[in-house]
Amino acid sequence: MTAVAETGVGTRLLRQVGFWPVVTALVFVALFALLVMPIVNIVGLSLSGKDAQSSVWANYATFFSERFYYQTLINSIQVSLAATVLAVLVGVPAAYFATRYDIWGRGFVRAAVVLTFVSPPFIGSYSWVILFGRSGLITTTLADFGISLPSIYGAPGIVLVFTLQFFPFVFLMVSSGLKSIDQSIEDAARNLGSGELRVFFTVLLPLLVPSISAGALLVFVAAFTDIGTPIIIGERFRVLPVLIFGEFVNEFGGRPILASTLAVLLLTVTTAALLLQRWFAGLHAHGTAAIRPLTIQEQRPLKRLLASAYVLLLVGMALLPIVNIVISSFLKANGPLLIAEFTLGNYARILRTIAVPLSNTIFYTTAATAMCAIVGTAVGYIIVRRPGRLGGLLDGVVMFSYAVPGIVLGVGLIVTYNEPPVILTGTSAILILAFFIRRLPFSVRSSVSMLQQLSRDTEDASINLGAGPGRTFLKITVPLLSMAILSGVLLTWSNTIRELSATLILQSGSTVTLSIEIFNEVVNANFGLASALGTVLILLTFLPLVVLFTLLGKREEALV
Amino acid sequence: MASTSVRIEQISKRFGEVTAVDRVDLSIAKGEFFTLLGSSGCGKTTLLRIIAGFMPQSGGRILFGDACIDDVPAHRRNTGMVFQNYAIFPHLTVIDNIAYGLRARGLPKGEVAERVARMLAMMRLEHLGHRRPRELSGGQQQRVVLARAIVIEPDVLLMDEPLSNLDTEMRVHLRGEIRALQRQIGVTTIYVTHDQEEALMMSDRVAVMSGGKVEQVGTPVEIFHRPQTRFVASFIGESNFIPAMRIGSGASGPAVYEVPGGGRLPVPAERASEVGPKADIAFRSHDLVLGPPEAGGWTATVADTQFYGATIRLVLELAPGHTVQVALTGRAGQALPATGARVGLALPSASLWLFPAAAR
Repeated sequence: MTAVAETGVGTRLLRQVGFWPVVTALVFVALFALLVMPIVNIVGLSLSGKDAQSSVWANYATFFSERFYYQTLINSIQVSLAATVLAVLVGVPAAYFATRYDIWGRGFVRAAVVLTFVSPPFIGSYSWVILFGRSGLITTTLADFGISLPSIYGAPGIVLVFTLQFFPFVFLMVSSGLKSIDQSIEDAARNLGSGELRVFFTVLLPLLVPSISAGALLVFVAAFTDIGTPIIIGERFRVLPVLIFGEFVNEFGGRPILASTLAVLLLTVTTAALLLQRWFAGLHAHGTAAIRPLTIQEQRPLKRLLASAYVLLLVGMALLPIVNIVISSFLKANGPLLIAEFTLGNYARILRTIAVPLSNTIFYTTAATAMCAIVGTAVGYIIVRRPGRLGGLLDGVVMFSYAVPGIVLGVGLIVTYNEPPVILTGTSAILILAFFIRRLPFSVRSSVSMLQQLSRDTEDASINLGAGPGRTFLKITVPLLSMAILSGVLLTWSNTIRELSATLILQSGSTVTLSIEIFNEVVNANFGLASALGTVLILLTFLPLVVLFTLLGKREEALV
Repeated sequence: MASTSVRIEQISKRFGEVTAVDRVDLSIAKGEFFTLLGSSGCGKTTLLRIIAGFMPQSGGRILFGDACIDDVPAHRRNTGMVFQNYAIFPHLTVIDNIAYGLRARGLPKGEVAERVARMLAMMRLEHLGHRRPRELSGGQQQRVVLARAIVIEPDVLLMDEPLSNLDTEMRVHLRGEIRALQRQIGVTTIYVTHDQEEALMMSDRVAVMSGGKVEQVGTPVEIFHRPQTRFVASFIGESNFIPAMRIGSGASGPAVYEVPGGGRLPVPAERASEVGPKADIAFRSHDLVLGPPEAGGWTATVADTQFYGATIRLVLELAPGHTVQVALTGRAGQALPATGARVGLALPSASLWLFPAAAR
């Protein structure tokens, strides 16, 4: 045999143990430190009593016996369920019309859905306050004519904002679900004598159940764990995440035990919702794949007009807050009151303060995105190419992190890393690590799906020609996936840059980010400044997506 | 070229309950063109991937020369492999594809360039060196991956159905080319295919596999003309099986078996005593000789006549429920027997094989 010369720069460890075992071990250490330990710690804290006699369930007993506490859970479930049902009711028809009908302004609809989807939820809520709040633009205008509108504050306002903010989940899921149904299925139903409505309810809707339930789950979890919107327009209507935030950051240093208990409850609900959806979608999965996807059908003018009007009205309403932010960023502001007079004053004022939060935001986002790209690709590779007990465990842990809300992760990281041996609280590192763990499951999922499309033979050929596993991964796998990794990077960037929940818990004065800065300006009722900062943030979020959709030719379904 | 002999000893591979490869023993000589032939699922590709090191065997061992390679990882085995779907590196040029294995071995730049250039010339790919794979035809891509596998001077060349994705004309052309190339460089080659024509035409020796086991190993002539198992007889060529009953057992001479249609066929006594009185007789469609019907001879009725151009097939009914296929060479002006006609049959004793009766 010819000896194969080793050329890699691998360390001795890599040579002796092998490339992938070392990588797998590192990934497990990272996941253990950043995900498992924080969760275990908050569960542990929630079961610890103030004194030795009390039951381990004492904290939960307190929660469920005091209305002040348990009412927040009921409130959270109420608004989230209401928003979920409404989002499905408005989102499914919109997706159907936009995918199947020749409605007007399809390009605009696509762009508007994407823009709504990526805009930070708390921006939407304060924008509604600007328009429909007590001294809002539209409220006061209509009041001059003697018309009074229902209040935007409290539960109805939260449900409205959540519905309009999160229906794109349903819209995008259903659009992509519709594209996986073959035209011949619909043709067969029509041919057998079913009208359009009957086809929709007896054929398409049943096939869409997995997509709809996946969209509904995303709406529910997003609504259930959102913290910005209820703070801004909830007023006396208190929800669970806000309670956690309050317990954690109150002026006496917070009560980590109570906050942990609440966080565990939040996590329990999101995990249960995730498992419920998996089970339910599994029951209705039919594994459809379209050779010739459903096509766009020409409609009679009236039907076309009505469908177009419905979709445009919906996305118009969803887009309204964003348009409003951009416009009001150029208006003179006197606290929460905006005056119809053009000015660049807001931008001039934020110029003085934006440097730190902007550079922080870009630095944290970039670092977390890079980590996601590298670790996500490696983890995806282990799951797809090296299946086995460890790969399965890794898959399970990563998928579990889907269900971990930002605020829960924030609380977990704080209670884990606020004392020796490792103190990270208040550092940039803790924010970067939180962003990284939050987005990791998405990166893993996208790398898993792209690896499944890549024939294994290409990598085997490289191994066969004498390149070791590490060299093969870097020289063959990564270059072949480069475009897919790049689109993953752009998506991660867009989704990370607007993070608020975990950031609210983890940030300190020196690690302030753009979304925190906006949030603070809103809470202090400096709407002009908030709008200018919000416009900057929306731009930073949207630009990578423009690249994604135009240069890389991705469809908007890639977002979910 | 540093080629080697290969010994496969008692190799098995189990996936849970399924045994994909079952205690296979093979001995492949240095420089031999050795083919694993079988239908899909017979374990031939699994065996090849075990030899390449892509999956560990469940039992047994593999030797290259005198060295056991069981603990050598795939990338150190120095086996050049050609994959069914090419597995060409789509992001690399032709030159970079061919140079890949040499660079992985850390050879100096000059030597890499020189060996790649030699290989390009040998495969007549010089003008395509800087092209990307997507600009190449299927046949050109196949030549690139072949060059890529050969340039590293592998101990063993492994080929997994390399021609199955090509159209017929290119396939026929390339199999001649691969065979000539293999003779020229003398590399030990293990070739996997389901195409018996390819196996017979290219190989020094063939192993016919079925259900994870090796049914027969031999030269193409042995495999075709002296099938040792019922499976090999039915898998290779176009064979007929008819039930036979022993009616005479010559103590010194051959045994005689009677078949439907009144045929009496002599079989060597030794073979007859192995098989027993109830047996099946197998023969190839083109070995049956047709003549005018004779009283007391072996006769049949023509049930169908199928014209294929170069060949003509007849379906003959020997007796109700027993039909055989006959292939005749189609010559211009040849008169075809009409459906319903009676014909006489003869079968040279060298063309028939006796097997134990199949369970029906």
